[in-house]
Amino acid sequence: MEKSTDTSLYLRVSEQDKDALEQLYDRYEKILFSFLYKMLEDRGLAEEALQEVFIKIWRGKGVYDESKGKFSSWLFRMAQNTAIDLIRKRKKPTVPIEEASQMVSNDEPVEEQVVWQEKKTQIEMAVQHLSAEQQKMIDLFYFKGHTHETIADMCDIPLGTVKSRIRLALKKLKTSLHGMQERGAYDD
Amino acid sequence: MTNIDCDYLVDYLNGTLTEEENQQFEHHLKTCTECQEIIEATGQLPYLADPVEPPTDMKARILSNVFDEKVEQNNHLKDQPIDQPKALKPAMSPIPIHKKRRKENVWKPLLAAVLLMSLLGNGYAFYQLSDQTAETETAIQSIELQPNATFTGTATAAMIEEEGLLNLVVQADRLAELETSQVYQVWLIKDGKPIPAGAFSPNPNGEGASYYQLETTSDEWDTIAITLEPKTGNELPEGEIVLSSEI
Ligand SMILES: [Zn+2]
Repeated sequence: MEKSTDTSLYLRVSEQDKDALEQLYDRYEKILFSFLYKMLEDRGLAEEALQEVFIKIWRGKGVYDESKGKFSSWLFRMAQNTAIDLIRKRKKPTVPIEEASQMVSNDEPVEEQVVWQEKKTQIEMAVQHLSAEQQKMIDLFYFKGHTHETIADMCDIPLGTVKSRIRLALKKLKTSLHGMQERGAYDD
Repeated sequence: MTNIDCDYLVDYLNGTLTEEENQQFEHHLKTCTECQEIIEATGQLPYLADPVEPPTDMKARILSNVFDEKVEQNNHLKDQPIDQPKALKPAMSPIPIHKKRRKENVWKPLLAAVLLMSLLGNGYAFYQLSDQTAETETAIQSIELQPNATFTGTATAAMIEEEGLLNLVVQADRLAELETSQVYQVWLIKDGKPIPAGAFSPNPNGEGASYYQLETTSDEWDTIAITLEPKTGNELPEGEIVLSSEI
């Protein structure tokens, strides 16, 4: 059976095709849950956010088309935004949970996880190319959802430059990611 | 290199743009390779997360809640007590239909895998009873449910069809006492896929009855079953089947 592309599944979802939504769900459940858990540090909240994401998709809030880039990037952005909303709403102190390590999955490496692992290695290496301050900035901006004020404070930079510094950090991330992907192509 | 629109990138990623700004930026995005590439790179960041195993029952919860969203608005039934149909007088008053629970639905993954499709496949809708009219064609079918090897109770189901609506009345007796949270749950099943169709707890005489109405006909179902559920409101069976019959 031919594997449907994300975009074709999404199109079917927009026609209220439940089966297509389930397929998308299966495809992204684990990465989204893990990502949301990393952001929210709480399984209950991660589930809440994940549900919210799929409700948004199902109701057609926020429309995807290919001009917006890869479906996964769009989906992750929606998840990230949803988590940030939750973080801000709850004002929940982000306390790392000690059981987190126990919950780390040690499943048999199915294909999806191999791909994940590859991407993880890549992005980790790309992040290592950034300065410590840039790494911190991406963490605060992207995963912790901090306001620009907090980021200015914590990174000790003027508030007025936060946005452009974040952009710069992301741009550098992009450049090193590209560099690695090109090298990777030759290494194989 | 960067123009004014590129400045929106960070806010775009943050989801803090107004709808108009958002559209403006998405328009810009079509022509700005750099913003596109930064967004794609940012889209890799979630892979930094360590794999965490989601709860096994999360999928069923989330999907049923997602698909529920629409039904919700038309579903006036849930909070209202239900009158018994006049044709039949169960020995005791039926308990109201259980509210659909949105959270803490726990069921066994094994069953879940098989049964999830019932949630996905049936856009079942509920209607109020109040606008039932008297002079409609009515078909009644009575079914004797068979107990499993160890169960001592008995039950009869009556299926009353009117105007495309199926009224399902179940009466049971010789029921053992239950623990407080437990409940007898009635299911209609088609090809192994059940939907909840009423629930009851026994009275001190060991009798119980339920009443349920749904938009369907009896020939859409091949089996009726009663399970002993550890709690009310399960959307999928968790407990064992104590009584059942083909329809
Ligand atoms: Zn741009």
